[in-house]
Amino acid sequence: MDWSRAKWFDFTGTIKEGQFSRFGNEVIEILRQSPPPKLAIVLDTAFGWQHKTPAMVRDHINLSGYNPLIGPNHPIGERFPVIQGIYNADDAERLALETVVVAGLKHGRRLSSDDAEFMHVLGADCYCFNVVPTMLVAAHAGCKVLAIVGPDNHTWQAEIAAKINELSSCAR
Amino acid sequence: MKVEETKVKARTPEQALAIIRSVVDVVPDAGIVLGSGITALQDLVEPHSFSFHQVFGVEPTVAGHAGTITIGKLPENEAVTLVVFRGRYHVYEGHDWDVVTLPTRTLIEWGVKELILTNASGGINPLFKVGDLMVMTGFRDLISEKWRGGIIEALQTFPKECRNELSEKIFVNGARLAQIDKEFWPLKNGIYAGFTGPSYETLAEVEMVRRMGCDNVAMSTVPELLTAAGSPMKAAAVSVITNVWNEDTVITGHEEVLEASKGASKRLDKLLRYMLSGRR
Repeated sequence: MDWSRAKWFDFTGTIKEGQFSRFGNEVIEILRQSPPPKLAIVLDTAFGWQHKTPAMVRDHINLSGYNPLIGPNHPIGERFPVIQGIYNADDAERLALETVVVAGLKHGRRLSSDDAEFMHVLGADCYCFNVVPTMLVAAHAGCKVLAIVGPDNHTWQAEIAAKINELSSCAR
Repeated sequence: MKVEETKVKARTPEQALAIIRSVVDVVPDAGIVLGSGITALQDLVEPHSFSFHQVFGVEPTVAGHAGTITIGKLPENEAVTLVVFRGRYHVYEGHDWDVVTLPTRTLIEWGVKELILTNASGGINPLFKVGDLMVMTGFRDLISEKWRGGIIEALQTFPKECRNELSEKIFVNGARLAQIDKEFWPLKNGIYAGFTGPSYETLAEVEMVRRMGCDNVAMSTVPELLTAAGSPMKAAAVSVITNVWNEDTVITGHEEVLEASKGASKRLDKLLRYMLSGRR
């Protein structure tokens, strides 16, 4: 993993570095800055599951009906970016985290328990609002993504951030 | 913004037709839409060509989609007049639904009876191979504007059927052609999943639509089929399988894929000429 040009995107409002209330133009601009980041470290809140602990994202299903790359193509990337192999979940074991498939939903949308059950049938473990659009813009800009999702509280972020910082300093 | 400008300049089907009719006053027997990388029907007799921009007032933005309209007679049977669209407008380009469906609405207004749509697609049925042609029997609409708030509801409905006299005719002609021509592979059939794109799918997304019984996936054709449904124009669609999603498959070189697509274009060209020339 290339830690040298890593950027933090914390959508949970907890850690000091790289706080964003939600995905938007501000996030897009950072991912498309020159030179672009090589790794986006994303923290987001997940819903529709019973987990009390965080997990690492290994893949996603975009159920939001939205793709931030719709529109004229930005020259930083291909018109039709390949988005397989963008999530880096190799370090899940070293961070003692399970891996999950997340569904991306439109910001603020909450699923009924029936719809959450349906989402599980489709192959997703939980849903969140920011990981998927951030990943799509990152992938388009040639940037890998290390994404961690956790319950809707502030209990897990600091520990995860410390572990990731430790990993990154070891790697350097 | 470029897209804002194009939204303003889009014409109506009536205006688009007036531009075409000022040059050539015929009602084609059939319309053909050729998707990205698909070449066919390149030698129409007494051809009249227009750019998309000229007729519809909107520039397509995708490289590889030429965006031309050619009206001419089929060399194999000059009693048959065709209109061939090379390229199309896509939702992922940022075009409004009105623009994406404008060519189809123009064909309906024109009184064209049959529309054959083609597209390049990723195969998710493991029995498919690169270069196969798949007649669409149904599709999943994950593209329409009504799903802008999320596609869960779209996935909770049944796929839409698009089997009709025209798709049957394609199938029957394909079966005949496969008997008399060894180079013509038998046609496949299946259900198409239409995503907006422009990014390709993740493995989890491919697995999801595979579980839902879909056979291939691409980013077009659904708007045209939805627009034609309920109009007097019959529409059918043929997908070229340009790659097959499979975790076990070793990705072959891009050149092999291109070669296979070329072969598929040739077979599609044969099929269209065979079917349209005999009006079988």
